[in-house]
This record gives sequence, C-alpha cells and structure tokens, in this order.
Amino acid sequence: MKKKDKILVKICVGTSCFVQGGADLLLYNDFLNPELLSKFEFEGCSCLGACKKVGGATGEEASAPFVMVNGKLHGNMNPEKLNKLLMEEV
Amino acid sequence: MLELNNQYTRLKRQVHSMVIKSFFAGTLEEDIDKIPFWIIPKDAATSRCCIYKERAMIRYRIMALLGVNIEKDDDEMKPLSEYYKEVMKKEILATPVITTISTACSSCPKDQYLISDACRGCFARPCYVNCPKDAIFFSNGQAHINQELCIRCGKCMDVCPFHSVVHIPVPCEAACPVGAIKKNEDGIVNVDYKKCISCGKCTRSCPFGAIVERSSLFTTLKYLQNDDKVVAMIAPSIDGQFPGTLEQIKQGLLLAGFDEVVEVSEGAAITAENEAKEIIERLKDGEPYMTTSCCPSYIELINRHLPFLKDKKSDTLSPMGYIAQMVKEKDPEVKTVFIGPCLSKRIEAVSLKTVDGVINYSELAALFMAKDIDVREVEAADMGDTSEFEDCRDFAVSEGVAGCVVHRLQEGQEITPMYINGLDLKTFRGMKIWPKKAPAAELIEVMICEGGCINGPGTIVSPKLAMRLRSGNVKTPAKLTKRK
Repeated sequence: MKKKDKILVKICVGTSCFVQGGADLLLYNDFLNPELLSKFEFEGCSCLGACKKVGGATGEEASAPFVMVNGKLHGNMNPEKLNKLLMEEV
Repeated sequence: MLELNNQYTRLKRQVHSMVIKSFFAGTLEEDIDKIPFWIIPKDAATSRCCIYKERAMIRYRIMALLGVNIEKDDDEMKPLSEYYKEVMKKEILATPVITTISTACSSCPKDQYLISDACRGCFARPCYVNCPKDAIFFSNGQAHINQELCIRCGKCMDVCPFHSVVHIPVPCEAACPVGAIKKNEDGIVNVDYKKCISCGKCTRSCPFGAIVERSSLFTTLKYLQNDDKVVAMIAPSIDGQFPGTLEQIKQGLLLAGFDEVVEVSEGAAITAENEAKEIIERLKDGEPYMTTSCCPSYIELINRHLPFLKDKKSDTLSPMGYIAQMVKEKDPEVKTVFIGPCLSKRIEAVSLKTVDGVINYSELAALFMAKDIDVREVEAADMGDTSEFEDCRDFAVSEGVAGCVVHRLQEGQEITPMYINGLDLKTFRGMKIWPKKAPAAELIEVMICEGGCINGPGTIVSPKLAMRLRSGNVKTPAKLTKRK
C-alpha cells in the first residue's frame, strides 16, 4: 500500500492534550491492533484549538486529549477508544 | 498503583489550571468559591452519589492545592476565599506533605481473600490442604474462608485450579511500603506521620483521591506574581515529561514567569564527584558499604525506620542542595524553586533553607495550561554549556546515580554497585537485616520510586514513554521531538 492511501491520524501534542493523557496515545505502536498500523499514518500535531473552544468543561466528548482521524475531531481519547475508533474507520 | 492518567488525575489538573488562571487574572478571591460549580455544573454526569458531593470534592482539591492541612483545618462553614486569604499571608513550605480527605475515603473493607462462586468444591481441595491456618471450610459444596483465622497469605489463591479465590486489597495500605496507613475504627484512612516517609505512593493508588498532596504551589505563584527574581531549578527527570525538547521546556518556564532556569543535573555532577571520593575513603577506613543520599524519601526512611544507616549513607549534599547553594551564592536575594517529580523534596527543602519553593510536574503542567504555553511550539532556549554535567541527567533513572559515581572514580579504582530500585514491603524487610548481614556490594544506590525519579508521584508521563522521549527516539510521530 502506498503512503498516500493511508488514513491520517493526528494526535494532538499541545500541552493540554499531552498532559491530560494524550502522551499515552503516543505509544500507539504498543497498544493498537497490529493490523491497523499499516493502514494509518500517525503524526503528532500542534494544538487543534478544540480544548480552548469548550473552555475546559468536562463534557464526555468535548475534553482533551483530542485526536483527528481523517479530518474528523474526536475528544476524550484513550488507547482503548482509539483502537475501537480506528477499527471502525477501516 | 493506578495508571498515571485517569479520570481523577485529569480532573485534578483541570481544577489546578483553572485556579492558577484565575490567580494570574487577579480574580481568584471572588472566583474561588464558584470554581466547584463551574467544574461540576447542574447537569454534569457524576461518578459519586450526586453533584453536591462532587462539588465538595472539588472544594477539597482546591484546599489541598492551597496547602491546607485538611485533616486538621477543615471547616465546612468557611468559604474557600477565607482559606485563600490566609494562604496569601503565609510564606512557608507546608509539611507534612500529605493530607487526607475523610469524606472522599470509601472506607474500603479490610484486606481479604474471598472464594467466589467459581469454586467447584473439587475433590483434591488444594486450598484446604495448603492453608497453613486451617481457615478453609466447606459448606453447600463450596469452599469458604473463615476470616477470623485467615492470615491473608494468599496460598489458596495460588493453588486453586479454577481461579476462584479473589484477593480484595486496600489500595492505599497495599501501596505504602512502610505500613504507615491504617484505618481508624470507622474504616477511614489514617496516616501515621511518625512512620510516613512521604514517598507519595498512596496519593497515586487511591482510586477515590482520598489521599492527596498538600501542595505548596502558592508559595511559588506568589514569587512569580511579585517582583522577586525567581530561579527555576529543574530536576533531571523533567526531560520527557512535556512535549518538546529540554530547550523548549526551559523557554516555556521563562514564558511562565521564571527569570532564570538552571539544571539540577549541574548539582548532580558535584554530588557524583564527591560521592566518588567519599566511597573510596570510607572503604579505606574499613567500612563495608556506603549508600547514596540523594533520594529524600530514603532519608526519611533512615530517620524513621532504619537509623543504623545514618552513618552508612553518604554525607554528600543532594543535587538540589548543591545547585541551590550555587544559585544563592551568586545572588542571595533570588527565590529558588525546585521543579521535580517528588513530594518529599519539600521536606529536604525545609531542612536546607536554600530552597524557597517546590512544585511538581503535574502542577507545572497546570501552570503551562493556565498560561496557554504550548511547549512544543515555543522557541528553543539556549541551555548554555552542559558538557560538564550532561551525563548526570541520568540521576533521574534507576542505576543512573551509581553509574555517574562509578564514572567519576580515579583510574584503577573499582567498586561494586547494587541497586535498590523502588521500595516495597519486601525490600524494606530485606534492608532491615543489613546490620546482621551486610549487602554484597560497596555502593548501594537507593531510589524509593521504582524505575527512579521518572516514576515519581508528581510525574505526568508513563516511565516507558518518558524514557523514549528522553532518548529522543520516539520514531513517529516524526515531528514530535524537534531535536537537533
């Protein structure tokens, strides 16, 4: 599979996301289903601005850490949820 | 211990950053009593019984951040703004560094082994045969444990072929390596401060957040707000705790209001140098071994439990001790703030008198969040010439301290190191017999946190990831570490 066919996963490494659990997501090589690794391209990205919009409220979906998959924003992410999300994406 | 990042730690950091933001906006006195309502609004989903208890918990988190001794000074009638005004008048580093919130404590039942319905009442009955106290009896075709006889050795659990024995621990008691946590008659957590070595393991193990750090953050916040010249002394373990490089972390600190940033590793180089000399002299004098002395919880362990080690530990100052001395010698007027992963460093700071403030990484993260400082995006600051002490950044990791000491021995000198990598009840028991049976090594490096300071109670990144970030080899996302 060529690189451009891969779906882009942006993991926010802005300070808020990083310290609120986003750091754990960077170990994706360890926790993702190995099949998924070849189908996605991962990159760390700067603050997506989503955390500021919600003013730090603890909504289920509207809180750090954020991940952008194929252009769509997902909040309150953790390793298990990311695995599930990417499984649904393929 | 719990995972580093869970619902509780995330909420705690959110509370902290909101308080800090309001502090720098100059509105904290009027905001502080409203913050619990902002964080837990009317329609919030709750994990506890109701939003009112959740709000009460937020209130306690803020009190802990203010440095209130909650056990002693909790007054429900008193508004947070009053506590805040009191804190602003004081200028002390608060000890003890731990406090408990009895309302948060779930009064977990005593540590026990139970036999579940998975028990088949088998014929071989390994649980019955192996129980040293004859605590197992059978009724209705299943095994049961007589709790009065059970000594909680766990043998039945090990031998049951159906995994039907469950162990229900008390997380805080199980985490404490020195047996300082005991329940009172109501089952509520109670810390025996005569025994406590302030390692902070309990603060990371209670899933209800009932044992918390009694913070000294406000001492530092006041320095930052006033015209004081504030010097941040960053511990070796800071590398890997934030996105971006060490240079960027330094820049972030400058942006947050610190006037100067120095690396504690610079002091660590002096510690290593002196310990290398000291051990050789001690061995010459016929002493069997020497231990390191840079871990403050270890010093507490000696003082409170293992006094025979007082003349076995090195007399060398800790890295924080040396660096603070250096900074103060240059300019006695500056305020020195140690930034590290440790709770007990504050106890050391109080005894040293050269350290004016101590904060941990979690609090620094909240400060960065409150000030909207995106560490990864800031310019890299100049670290200066670090070649003399760079290797001492390894003080943060198990085996690193001894490694640096060995590295500084003269040619022809040799010593055998040994490592106490994390303290638990078993290691503690092992250390107690050292007077009778000296350890088979000459230099003993002691770190109370397993893995070293990178696994301290005030960290935010798992040691595994921190190690990768430190060596700069998180392969992807490629853009994460902007290292040269």
